[in-house]
Amino acid sequence: MMTYIVFILSVIFVVSFVGFSSKPSPIYGGLVLIVSGGVGCGIIMNFGGSFLGLMVFLIYLGGMLVVFGYTTAMATEQYPEVWVSNTTVMGVFLLGLLMEVMLVLYVLKSEEVGVAFKFSGVGDWAIYDTGDSGVFSEEIMGVAALYSYGAWVVIVTGWSLLVGVLVVLEVTRGD
Amino acid sequence: MNPLIFTTILMTVLLGTMIVMMSSHWLMIWIGFEMNLLAIIPILMKKYNPRTMEASTKYFLTQATASMLLMMAIIINLMHSGQWTITKVFNPTASIIMTSALAMKLGLTPFHFWVPEVTQGISLTSGLILLTWQKLAPMSILYQISPSINLNILLTMAVLSILVGGWGGLNQTQLRKIMAYSSIAHMGWMTAVLAYNPTLTMLNMLIYIMMTLTMFMLFIHSSSTTTLSLSHTWNKTPLTTTLILITLLSMGGLPPLSGFMPKWMIIQELTKNNSIILPTLMAIMALLNLYFYMRLTYSTSLTMFPSTNNMKMKWQFETKRITFLPPLIVMSSLLLPLTPMLSILD
Repeated sequence: MMTYIVFILSVIFVVSFVGFSSKPSPIYGGLVLIVSGGVGCGIIMNFGGSFLGLMVFLIYLGGMLVVFGYTTAMATEQYPEVWVSNTTVMGVFLLGLLMEVMLVLYVLKSEEVGVAFKFSGVGDWAIYDTGDSGVFSEEIMGVAALYSYGAWVVIVTGWSLLVGVLVVLEVTRGD
Repeated sequence: MNPLIFTTILMTVLLGTMIVMMSSHWLMIWIGFEMNLLAIIPILMKKYNPRTMEASTKYFLTQATASMLLMMAIIINLMHSGQWTITKVFNPTASIIMTSALAMKLGLTPFHFWVPEVTQGISLTSGLILLTWQKLAPMSILYQISPSINLNILLTMAVLSILVGGWGGLNQTQLRKIMAYSSIAHMGWMTAVLAYNPTLTMLNMLIYIMMTLTMFMLFIHSSSTTTLSLSHTWNKTPLTTTLILITLLSMGGLPPLSGFMPKWMIIQELTKNNSIILPTLMAIMALLNLYFYMRLTYSTSLTMFPSTNNMKMKWQFETKRITFLPPLIVMSSLLLPLTPMLSILD
């Protein structure tokens, strides 16, 4: 099972994305986001990225999602919508589940059948090594490279985040 | 809006387009598009009424979908070629998806439905930025991937855009919708020649931006957003009336004016590549465009449009000072003799 752990985790990842894309109330969307964040962290860790997985838990789940949860709790309504309370929401959720099940069967059962992509079995999702080449771990080197060779990326993404805050404040300010 | 914030957001729009045009890594290009989209939303929403908010929402939804399609095409390209640099796109699927994404960003048919509605809902200055500056970034990417675009899809979209741009503009009296349909048609002309000679796409883009800039400046100067209010300019500034005439005829592509230059070059380039029916069809469909421009000139400059007697005098507000209007007008009407200088664009 450990060779297919990434595949299983990615299926749970997609199912939880379907869970919040079918738009229940934001509280339940946040709940499913926690699950998907944890599972995503598991996927990254299986490729040897322990630092990045920790980042997901700390910053994404422990910072951003907590703030989101508090603001949603302030703005919540008396009877929030669950997946089974509204026919539309349940319908979209079941549709998403059905599509994921069909995709999984397509990946597992058929050898080399191509529609737009050639799925040759489970392929990239099965891990056979950890990706450590030599003495240094690849992933920490990647993070270090972000701040040396990728300084322009850091500047651009930092500026985008600042402008994102300004834009959101400007749009919600009203007159 | 606070002037400092407004300046920052406007500079971010510029920065986003610059990043798209300057990058060699697909991810940076995507980041540039997203930065551009994010920063232009408050500019579209400068006045807070429900119409601008609806227009900004529509713009955001369509452009975000296009960015997602672009990201998917980038990842498929990465899967098949293993590298992130921008050369040609190595996989036909990725190329088709990328062309569709960029067509959605430009407003080519069949993804043109957002252009008139968004342009109508926002103020004239925001519409100006939307229809000129926002076209630069997707067009630069199309230019860079032009060797690998599927020709059938590109030419179909181009011809249909010219048709829709001409036909859709026929029933309009609102000036912003007319400019939107004119933008759709011009984008069609630009993408038609993209696979044959991309330099002409750049030439057409340059002249289109100058002419659209001029038209919008003239509209802003006379504060008019409908044909009826434009037809009163003869009373307030008669010179503007003549300039509207000249610029509109230039946009329609009539010979002694500079709008003829890109159409002439494009038709010549297409016939050099042995396609005769296509440029004939395109030229015939450009007549639809010319018809509604001429209807505007007829009601504005050539006749006194019927209105009640107390509407004939426009209230004399303080004249807005429009920067660069005279040079723009000159450039959008008198550039035709400079056609041999085309070789500097190469």
